[in-house]
Amino acid sequence: MDISSPAAFVNGGLLRMHLGRRVRTVLQVTQSDIASAMGKSPDGYQLVAKGSPPVPLSSYVEVVGVAENENTIQAELWTNFGDTFGNLSSPYENLGLF
Amino acid sequence: MQSNEFDGNAAFSGGGFMPSQATQTTPDRPSSASKNSDARCLLPLTVKQLVDLSRGGESDISIEGVDVNNIVLVGKVSKIDNAVSECTFRVDDGTGWVECTKWVHEHLDSVEVDAISVGMYVRVYGQLKSIHSRRTVHTFSIRPVTDYNEITNHFIECIYVHFYNTKMRGCINTQPGMTNSVSGMTAQPQVANSNFGDPGKGYSYEANQTSQYNNDEEQIRALSSMVLQYLRQPACIAFEMGVSSVVVARELNISVDKVRQTLDFLASEGLVYTTTDDYFKFTDA
Repeated sequence: MDISSPAAFVNGGLLRMHLGRRVRTVLQVTQSDIASAMGKSPDGYQLVAKGSPPVPLSSYVEVVGVAENENTIQAELWTNFGDTFGNLSSPYENLGLF
Repeated sequence: MQSNEFDGNAAFSGGGFMPSQATQTTPDRPSSASKNSDARCLLPLTVKQLVDLSRGGESDISIEGVDVNNIVLVGKVSKIDNAVSECTFRVDDGTGWVECTKWVHEHLDSVEVDAISVGMYVRVYGQLKSIHSRRTVHTFSIRPVTDYNEITNHFIECIYVHFYNTKMRGCINTQPGMTNSVSGMTAQPQVANSNFGDPGKGYSYEANQTSQYNNDEEQIRALSSMVLQYLRQPACIAFEMGVSSVVVARELNISVDKVRQTLDFLASEGLVYTTTDDYFKFTDA
């Protein structure tokens, strides 16, 4: 990842507009195996990320790679984003705010 | 605040015994530092914004009219160069990469840098430096990101600040009394947040900022301020008859209905008065 090929943030709907280019997105993993991971994009599309997912894989994973087609990313970089990504309730519950 | 003035050379001249005097005489200080330090703000930026900053031979680095001094970045560490007294991280946020250098003098500094490894997302607070036209960040603090919502939040903040410094300023006609051309906020607060009360600052990152906005109230106040500032201009005051609401709407790019509503409100407050039908003048001319 360098300045000559920045990765655009995409969701399922935007992926088709960046075919062949570097993209990044976060997936909520539904199933995974040794060569790919399937998950839900932020807007609800089922996307597949091919490559080598990290082991163990958390519920949310960020993938950066090249968009192969409108629902597949050839992932080069994987980052586990934990199990509570985008979930606001947990930190605020600890503060007793609600 | 010592961290703002910190410079490796200055801290060690005089054996570090007279830091305040030493930092005042450093010759390589950017001229923006001689301005009132209250005018500095902490800007969240993407690396692309950092790299695209205006150069134009000016010694001041600025973006969208706001002096850039202290910045926040969030990105992934793609390379670490560990030297004896400094550690350089290459931070990549998906829009580009930039070298961030953290000087290591004390045990606390080395604990901080040891916590960072390649591939980790980090948040960097630092000061923008330009060395041989290459942008680097002199890092005050670098820490790992543990809650990944920080990444999304940082980018949303960058977008907000960008819009605040460009669009919000574009809506406001410049006041004759406003001489501070480097501030990102050129007029009275346009949003209901009282933290923005200081007209000398650009948008500044307030850690304790509250976000309880009443949208309607905020909108009314924003519109009233805009209309009032427009009418306060000498050009408008010079018109004996005042300014028609249609003209105000056109100049400020707001609907005539909204302008009329706002003008009626301002008239009821006594801030403007009508001369003839639909022509308004600022009261305290």
